[in-house]
Amino acid sequence: MTDEQGTTGAVLVVGGGISGLTAALETAEVGNDVFLVEKGPSFGGRVAQLNQYFPKLCPPSCGLEINFRRIRDNRRIRTYTMTTVKAVSGGPGNYEVTLETSPRYVNSNCTACGDCAAACPDEIANEFNFGMNSCKAAYLPHEMAFPRRYVIDKGALTSAGAEAVKAACKYDAVDLEMKPETFTVHVSSIVWATGWVPYDATRMESLKFGQSKAIITNMMLERMAAPNGPTGGKIHRPGDGKAIESIAFVQCAGSRDENHLEYCSHVCCMATFKQMSYIREQYPEAQIYVFYIDLRTPGKYEKFRESWMSDAKATFIKGKVADMTIEADGGVTVIAENALTAEKISQKVDMAVLATGMQPSFALQGAPVALEMDPSGFVISDAARGMIAAGCAKKPADVVTCTQSSTAAALKAIQLSRR
Amino acid sequence: MNVQPDLEFIRTLKEAGGDTLKKCYQCATCSVACPLSKDGKPFPRKEMIWSQWGMKEKLLTDPDVFLCHQCGDCTTKCPRGAKPGDVLGAIRSYAYTFYGWPKPLAKLASSAKGLPILIGIPVVVIFVMWLLSGAMHIPTKEQFASHGYQQFFGSWDFKWYAKNIFFIVLIMLPSLGLALFSAFMGIRKMWQKMSEEAGLNSQYRPSVGQFFSDFLWPSLVEIVKHSRFRECTTHIDRVRGHLPLMLAFIGLFIVTCWSLLKNDILGLIWPSLHGPLPLTDPFKILANVSAIALLFGIGVLWSNRKKAEQDLNTQATFYDWFLIWEIAAVGVTGLGAELLRWAGMPFIGYIVYFFHLVAVMMLFLYLPYTKLAHMIFRTTAYTFEKYRTSVYARG
Repeated sequence: MTDEQGTTGAVLVVGGGISGLTAALETAEVGNDVFLVEKGPSFGGRVAQLNQYFPKLCPPSCGLEINFRRIRDNRRIRTYTMTTVKAVSGGPGNYEVTLETSPRYVNSNCTACGDCAAACPDEIANEFNFGMNSCKAAYLPHEMAFPRRYVIDKGALTSAGAEAVKAACKYDAVDLEMKPETFTVHVSSIVWATGWVPYDATRMESLKFGQSKAIITNMMLERMAAPNGPTGGKIHRPGDGKAIESIAFVQCAGSRDENHLEYCSHVCCMATFKQMSYIREQYPEAQIYVFYIDLRTPGKYEKFRESWMSDAKATFIKGKVADMTIEADGGVTVIAENALTAEKISQKVDMAVLATGMQPSFALQGAPVALEMDPSGFVISDAARGMIAAGCAKKPADVVTCTQSSTAAALKAIQLSRR
Repeated sequence: MNVQPDLEFIRTLKEAGGDTLKKCYQCATCSVACPLSKDGKPFPRKEMIWSQWGMKEKLLTDPDVFLCHQCGDCTTKCPRGAKPGDVLGAIRSYAYTFYGWPKPLAKLASSAKGLPILIGIPVVVIFVMWLLSGAMHIPTKEQFASHGYQQFFGSWDFKWYAKNIFFIVLIMLPSLGLALFSAFMGIRKMWQKMSEEAGLNSQYRPSVGQFFSDFLWPSLVEIVKHSRFRECTTHIDRVRGHLPLMLAFIGLFIVTCWSLLKNDILGLIWPSLHGPLPLTDPFKILANVSAIALLFGIGVLWSNRKKAEQDLNTQATFYDWFLIWEIAAVGVTGLGAELLRWAGMPFIGYIVYFFHLVAVMMLFLYLPYTKLAHMIFRTTAYTFEKYRTSVYARG
């Protein structure tokens, strides 16, 4: 059937994070054509923002670089950044998908020399670092960005800025007249690997996020610990830069809560143990407090949990942090009941890390086509229709589980194209 | 720890408004959210697990259960919809039945099934008294205008004690007496059990005067001022209903005392003091203001309850509604009887007055078993809490 369409049973993979990359590669390496589209200006997704994976504590460049390499070398994969799905028509085996590429304002002449950024006088909040620092309005998304091409936030450019950026480019790569482009592709099935966003911590009023610099999220801590992050890898209290003598990890910040995310986000317990290692490395004497409901580190992760729970300067309190007080000295007091001792605890710390959960991207922005979704916004695969969910678009999961589910999604996508 | 869950107890709690108790996963958000929860002994997280495990004895001897004002803050913040506030309400309803004396009457007052008998008892008693009194007739308009309901049970020549008062006292005093005795029994049992559970030193006790001034009086002051009630946020509107209602009861109590004094003691000396009070009399003004406050208060609580059932999915229980109905009935029949007297309608007036007596008798008779029992048991818990941390208890 697909041969009549003049395709080889092409597959569209929506989302270019670790799940989308994996699904695209697995599909293409079997022999199908793949269109890989990514909303942002570079591939790598949330994993690119991490400092280290758990439990091996290796940097994400580990998995990403090899995948970028495989993608570059694979002629069956066509990649599109800054591209979103606008409409889908047709049926399983023969979908016509309308895609739209937003203007990057930088064309393929770009060599990532950085002259435009150096010349650009305008700055924007660095979204990749969750706004903890700023970057130029002409910027490389991050150090490891693939494709390695600059992007311009035209809205943030002053007219002087626009002139400076254009003048600085030796390769005629800056094109501020770029318009959105719409195009269509024909595919037999679609893999939705649209991933997740960190749950908006300001929505939990009692946790006072945004009211004190001492309260950060776990993803912010990842950026802070990362060598390519806003502090060059140095963990300290944002704002005053105080060294960390005590730190509280607030588990289930928004997860397992029917007022927020009703499900367990699956990775936050392990992420916290991992982040304990970041703290310990820089502050051997720091007091670490972990407030939890249950510690969920299944299977092989139990060993990791055991080793970090034996840390002599770490205290584990079974009780969810339900209130915080902002202290005048820049610190913060977290308040919980220890369910094991039945005492209310008010612990003052230098910094509190909210282990915010994963919210599926579609829960916020909605799906571009009618997809079967659960009430939380996770996509439910419909293999017969060729609509297949992968990674954290399907359920909250760690990286290993995401790559497994992406391989599974690739297999389902291929099966439909070959019927 | 060897826990033998009391399944029957868990089932009862679920029926009494605690249907969500099994949803709790012990995150302890509630204990922090509760504005009344103390640092050293927070609640209601521990009460939730005791409920799940059916640990009846623990709950019945736990003053914290009675310190909860069901303000709903924990229920709003609960990540699981386990509604700790409602569960604690269900535990209290169970406790009132448990501490109630005599048991059969307490049981009867705990479910809608008992409603026909609950209403039947006062209806029969008052009707029989009306027959026995020999009054048994509807007054003429002139009699009604001059005496109002003061000759409901007729009159006799023995001027030292009016016949009407004789009968009313005959009905209400045993009702109130039974309630007070039952309250005494309940408080005694509760205090004993709580002291045992808390391991209090019983060797060293305060004098009655010290007990009153150090523990009971400060508790009463807190209650009347609604100090703790006002710390609630979610159901803060209940203060708007509860405060006027409580003041109305105090007002009506004062009026009743004055009325007795005026008619039966002062009336002996100055016979002109008999008869209904004029509208301008300060006590009549107090009575009418109280009646309106009572109706306003119960109206607020009624609509709050309805709203909670709609918006927060609060379970509708007999325990909550019976008291609302009772008080509404007292207010409506009381004010109704007064209005009918002004309107000069003796026949309907007498019928409404009859039901007013029924409603008042129900309020008295079932006080220690219904939600109204919070008056005695919460006051006890306030007092116990102060006592528990005092030098007397710690010895």
